[in-house]
Amino acid sequence: MSRSDVLSLYRRVLRIARSWQSQSALPQDTDTERKYIVQEARTLFRQNLKITDPESVKRYIEECDARIEIGLHYRNPYPKPSYLPPMGLATQKGRKLRAQERLRKQAKPLYLQSHDET
Amino acid sequence: MASRALAHCVRSIARASARLNEGNALTRSARASLVSTHRAISLMSCSQGTRWTELMRISGPSVQLCRHYGDLPPLTLESIHDRVMYVLKLYDKINPEKLQKASHFMKDLGLDSLDQVEIIMAMEDEFGFEIPDAEAEKLMTPAEIVQYIADKKDVYE
Repeated sequence: MSRSDVLSLYRRVLRIARSWQSQSALPQDTDTERKYIVQEARTLFRQNLKITDPESVKRYIEECDARIEIGLHYRNPYPKPSYLPPMGLATQKGRKLRAQERLRKQAKPLYLQSHDET
Repeated sequence: MASRALAHCVRSIARASARLNEGNALTRSARASLVSTHRAISLMSCSQGTRWTELMRISGPSVQLCRHYGDLPPLTLESIHDRVMYVLKLYDKINPEKLQKASHFMKDLGLDSLDQVEIIMAMEDEFGFEIPDAEAEKLMTPAEIVQYIADKKDVYE
């Protein structure tokens, strides 16, 4: 929950990236995925650097944990895509748009919090 | 009877190898192993003293057991320092001109704690051993890194 926790999380991700083996076991895939993990960790950690209120920090730490666990389990570092919620497509008019946005925000899974889909 | 035959064989082999000049460690080690085997036999057949002195003369000055193990060259403080500086210069967020031995990562070079973690990971990769989290947070200058690695690797000062 503190600075050193976040730093050890970052270190953990980098160590996983060091010894990552892709599921297809092709060397170019392994290489690409290792680079992807490092790059993704760097961008996301930097992007969420300025956030200070403890709730969001906790949520982002949990997001990182979730992505690590999911990645290790499925041997796939890319984020798991998820469906749009039902009634999630609306027009550009006011009321339905707000309802849609609220619904989408609620349905967004934990491990996709840092990603910014339109 | 069998010992005498064995001694005869060993003597002939040793005499043949004695004609080769020194230089090959293999023959030296072979001769050394021969020396160790037939030293025991010489005790048994010490009646043939005259013939054994020849072997003793050969074996006297040049008994060197050579074994070759594979390992990296030993580390010195100089080499550790050079390698640390080299890795730091390769890092793109560091300005190579401003890099000194005692330049603090955060205060002088303006780096982040995330950058510091990345630098320590690069050092781990370079030197091939793991640095635990608690220690890694405290390493803030290249001099401290060199000191820590020298401590861990038992390099003499």
